[in-house]
Amino acid sequence: MASNLSQLDKLENQSIFIIREAYSQFKNVAILWSIGKDSTTLLWLVRKAFFGKLPFPALHIDTTHKFQEIYDFRAKYAKEWGLNLIVTKNEEALAKGVGPDKGKFQCCNELKTVALKKAIAEQGFKALYLGIRRDEHGIRAKERVFSPRDEDFEWDYKNQPPELWDQYKTKATEEEHLRVHPLLGWTEIDIWEYIKRENIPVCDLYYAKNGKRFRSIGCETCCGPVDSEADSIDKIIEELKTTKISERSGRAQDKEDDYMMQKLRSLGYM
Amino acid sequence: MANGRTVIIGLDGVPFGMIKEFGENGVMPNTGELIKKSVFKKMNSSIPEVSSVAWSSMITGSNPARHGVYGFMDLQPESYKMTFPNFNSLKVPPFWEKWEGKSVIINVPSTYPVKQMNGAIISGFVSIEFEKSVYPQSLIPQLRDLDYRLDVDAGKAHSDIEGFLVDLDKTLEARIESYRFLWETQDWQNFMLVFTATDRLMHFLWDAYEQKDHKYHQFFLDHFSKIDKAIGEIADKLTDDDLLIMHSDHGFEKLDYDVFLNYLLMEEGLLQFEPGADASIANISSGTKAFVMDPARIYLNYKGKYPCGSVEPGQREELLSKLENIFSSLELNGKKVIRDVYRKEQIFAGPYLDDAPDLTLVGGEGFNLKANVKMQKLFDKGVFTGKHTQDTAFLLVKGLSDDSIVPEVPAVWDITGIVERSKS
Repeated sequence: MASNLSQLDKLENQSIFIIREAYSQFKNVAILWSIGKDSTTLLWLVRKAFFGKLPFPALHIDTTHKFQEIYDFRAKYAKEWGLNLIVTKNEEALAKGVGPDKGKFQCCNELKTVALKKAIAEQGFKALYLGIRRDEHGIRAKERVFSPRDEDFEWDYKNQPPELWDQYKTKATEEEHLRVHPLLGWTEIDIWEYIKRENIPVCDLYYAKNGKRFRSIGCETCCGPVDSEADSIDKIIEELKTTKISERSGRAQDKEDDYMMQKLRSLGYM
Repeated sequence: MANGRTVIIGLDGVPFGMIKEFGENGVMPNTGELIKKSVFKKMNSSIPEVSSVAWSSMITGSNPARHGVYGFMDLQPESYKMTFPNFNSLKVPPFWEKWEGKSVIINVPSTYPVKQMNGAIISGFVSIEFEKSVYPQSLIPQLRDLDYRLDVDAGKAHSDIEGFLVDLDKTLEARIESYRFLWETQDWQNFMLVFTATDRLMHFLWDAYEQKDHKYHQFFLDHFSKIDKAIGEIADKLTDDDLLIMHSDHGFEKLDYDVFLNYLLMEEGLLQFEPGADASIANISSGTKAFVMDPARIYLNYKGKYPCGSVEPGQREELLSKLENIFSSLELNGKKVIRDVYRKEQIFAGPYLDDAPDLTLVGGEGFNLKANVKMQKLFDKGVFTGKHTQDTAFLLVKGLSDDSIVPEVPAVWDITGIVERSKS
């Protein structure tokens, strides 16, 4: 147990260092808060890094399709933690009726990616903190702690700087915004062990109810629960040590199918 | 011969008549030279004549009732929910898991997500994530450096045709660069490279092929010339011991009309949806006797097989005859809309025959059979100007000691057998 605690201490120290380093470079920053366990853990770390008070806004991209539990959680803790919360929506797309029933790929793209892009343009953020982890999803394994996105929002694989974490170098060119990933080296189990140690509040959806729980939360329309009896943090940690199911299994297939459908439609199928 | 390498070049959708013409008129001079020195024949595609089925048949050397892929989409068991068969759905291993030596496989449709294999593979249409499209993963950085693109974004063709054509050429260039890179750096015995932009080009710009004064006529020819240059380059690298196969998976022709088969079934009262619900396969009601999946696969709505199934086994014969009559008698301006109506036993054989459509149709000349349930008319003319054909694919084989091992009228699943026999 002692070694495990020191592992968490090490992760915590690294993350706090990255958080402070990026802030001192960019000042005009924000944390992307999805209300999920990872970004809530990140928010916790940011508060620790700045002695309890967030010196920059928390940005929530609201697709309007989130679970009610997520909205309740957001309201409660935005108030309790005194957050400067910016809630942003792609109103234009919503007015046009973009939604999961019209195509999940377009929905995700318009209501998340485009909405975020607009918020960054409006607020002029130079860097964003994200709670992504390397073990989460295939493509995310390639992310770096500091990951630049160009004007078009494309992630430029080829120009990816060498691991800046090791170089303590965080300059970005004017037209880019930098994505900062302080939790990149954490695993799903690390997150839960830290949540337990720090007593960080998380959304109730993560705890099993009637044999099901969510391992990953987002929009009500696109997240499926997994079979689970884990109704406490201890049980969740126990479950994760034995499971072979991927964390995002409730989400991944739907999106691939939808992308597939979009490709087939463009060639006249369906 | 037995020690030679095998090289297969696929040209998605390119019809026999076009490759012959381009070989003769100088658009594809290298191909023209190859045709003179090879067995060169018209070839049948699979039925249905879509890329997923045709390429799955080619690489496994088997028909859909053996390899299990009947289309780009299928229904999940006991439901009306779509599922998309992919490389994991294939019930027969592809040739690279059977043949001796290492293989390099580039851009073969329906090979996503890739699996570990003896050699290297980059999957083709429909590939989604790059990371799941390349084996071994160590190739990813180099392919990114070559700006490798899995596919063109065909969605762009609907809004920005110029941009789409630029992408088409860039995709081709990167594909050629990547084949060179893998040809040189990998140790291989079998090499397969498929060009797929040809299919996209013919879907959107068949008219540019036919009309010499069309704005994109020259672009069309140039694209084929660029492919021909790569073909010439490959042919020059081969020795007399090597076997070269060039082929398409289906043919192409001018599209006169899209034909919406589910609308026909609705009109005949054979396809019904839940009251108030959108027209969608997901909303089929128990009044439904039959429905169509792309491109022209007809399924009876059997009781027990589907949630709202209502057809009893005893009604099968009567229903199939009725449907055969409806489809075979369909005409427009005196032309037969449907060339052939096949029952499953006529064209499929194997352990997965139960999954086959009850009827499969092949369109008459110019008629593009579709399953879109949202269309409120039987005939329409949309954005596409070219359509697939079932009986005008082509096959070219160079390097055989005995030409007679190529069947008189080959089919797309004969190709691997031809290679295997040439080596024995």
